Amino acid sequence: MPVDMNVMRGFMEQIQQLGQMDVPSERPDEERVDTAKRVMLEKLDTALAVDLEACVHCGLCAEACHFYLSTEDPRYVPVRKLELMRRLYRRERGPLRWLYRLTTRDITMDDLEEWQELVYDACTVCQRCSLICPMGVHVAAGVAGMRAAMRAADLMPVEMRFVGQEQSEKGSLFGVGSEEFRQAIEELRASGLSIPLDEPRADILVLSAVTDILLFKDTLVSTIRIMNHIGASWTFSSQGYESANFGYMAGDEEWQCAASKRVYDAAVACGAQTVIVAECGHAYPALRWDGAELFGKPLPFEVLAPAEFLAREIVAGRLKVKPIGKQKKVSFHDPCKIGRVGGVVDAPRVVLQALGVDLREAEPHGVENLCCGGGAGNFLINRGMPLRQKAFELKIRQYDATGADEIVTSCDSCQMNFMAGSMMHQWNKPIEGLVALVGQNLA
Amino acid sequence: MFAEFVDGPFWYFSATVFVVGVVLRLFFALRLGTPRPLSRPRESASRGFIRTVFTRFIPRREFFPRMRLEVIAGYAFHLGLFALLFFAAPHVEFYKERILGFGWTPMPYWAFIVSAQLAFAGLLLLWLRRVLHPVSRILSDAGDHIGTILVFLVMLTGCLALAEFHDSLRVLHFFLAELLLIYFPFSSLMHTFTFVLSRGYLGAGFARHGVKA
Repeated sequence: MPVDMNVMRGFMEQIQQLGQMDVPSERPDEERVDTAKRVMLEKLDTALAVDLEACVHCGLCAEACHFYLSTEDPRYVPVRKLELMRRLYRRERGPLRWLYRLTTRDITMDDLEEWQELVYDACTVCQRCSLICPMGVHVAAGVAGMRAAMRAADLMPVEMRFVGQEQSEKGSLFGVGSEEFRQAIEELRASGLSIPLDEPRADILVLSAVTDILLFKDTLVSTIRIMNHIGASWTFSSQGYESANFGYMAGDEEWQCAASKRVYDAAVACGAQTVIVAECGHAYPALRWDGAELFGKPLPFEVLAPAEFLAREIVAGRLKVKPIGKQKKVSFHDPCKIGRVGGVVDAPRVVLQALGVDLREAEPHGVENLCCGGGAGNFLINRGMPLRQKAFELKIRQYDATGADEIVTSCDSCQMNFMAGSMMHQWNKPIEGLVALVGQNLA
Repeated sequence: MFAEFVDGPFWYFSATVFVVGVVLRLFFALRLGTPRPLSRPRESASRGFIRTVFTRFIPRREFFPRMRLEVIAGYAFHLGLFALLFFAAPHVEFYKERILGFGWTPMPYWAFIVSAQLAFAGLLLLWLRRVLHPVSRILSDAGDHIGTILVFLVMLTGCLALAEFHDSLRVLHFFLAELLLIYFPFSSLMHTFTFVLSRGYLGAGFARHGVKA
């Protein structure tokens, strides 16, 4: 069941309309700058401070950044995105602040406006730059703090603000809330699928994502087929079905907590020992690595990425797939948030091996893979489209060199960005989700 | 008069600024604290901390072709400087007489020459890159150039002092070294110490997620 490109275009039009809804902040500039500085200072911990102290301005991080590599514009050098934090640390927290207050200028609204593009449009928080830095500077951690500061100063891109607010306040995304999810499940039930929804007890809580409901229906159907095939005790929850967490991407802890809390409550309510997030890149680290921190205690359930779960079930012999054969030449795109950030790199390859396809590894791949350019919510930012598409040229070169006929990945955002990139560049390389591929080839 | 000042009070002053400054800069960063992670780790964070401090000495194969010059020049400079700092005969003598009370075998004169050439070549290449490459140029501030110039002058006068055996050159070298000690805690030369922590924290975080950084 290929993605209906008209639906995809409609989805992109919805995003474009969001961009036209911006209203200027009514707060005075001074207050916005002060708020941003306060948030930056809150985010400054030892790890970030030693990064700011250790950077020698060599600029090697640029050599790992897809935005710099594709444009060679020095403004996009990753560590420069932390310059305002560095200035603030020196002026407000460092031991020589009396000196730096005399020799460096304070942060202004103009600075924040300039850095807004750098920390949103020109950074997908992919963490690749951390792998090259000789000092081990974790730029992405600082960018996450900068995004939080921008949010506090009303400088978050309007598209992210609207989507994040919708999720936080209404619990829906792009108009898909609990009721719409229930309807989608009813429609699938009508087609003959058995789907547990809101079961009072289940071992596994399976999450979905708005993208699977609107766009990648094949992924949703495959998820259901796989879970039924295994014979697991599982359920969806109409109160906690959404994997996506726009608070995580936008740097808004309150939104992030609200989105995670719905899943947490749903999992606890049905006594789930395992929560499987959808193929939604950031959703995995948002819950797997940030969930416990948000709630101040370890999560009472394990969190798995779909690829991780599929590999585990294949190895255990509970999930049996039909080998597709070597005539299918595929390359796997490691989503940053699942691979480099999430630590799930081998699992998708276990699944592809079980499917018997001809896996043509791209260079680089695994934890070193290049970001597609659409992660961390960037896919939503309309004004970032030209830069994103420039960066996407690297992906085209990367996968054309493999000789693969199609690309498989395990992230909806990556899939959407690949589809948008294919449309823009007239690049004819299909992309599909790992879950959908498995769902179509159950033994 | 100047020699006595450089050898006496100014030495004590610069050494004090260096030690207190370095300790303060580290202390102010460390006192901020880092939240204790609560998610279940895939691998020990401590192991990741230690591993990355060492593995980061060798660039990843994927990136090496894009950083060849910086790696080679960086190693030439840092290894050359390390050898000069700790194994040049006058320095060993200085540590024995003025600081530690004991010394060790210094390197031979030819090794001194090789080390100095490596250090000079490395430093000049790194500085040229800093000035010429658009990325490092946009990042670099006055402090980076001051640090480079001071290190260069200290090395230059040190080599001249050893070659010429003239006390005024030794005094000039020592004076510049003292200026460098004073400047050190105010500059990005602090990476001499902070690199262990920045690499370590990065490695710890990645290791928890099951990734070898």
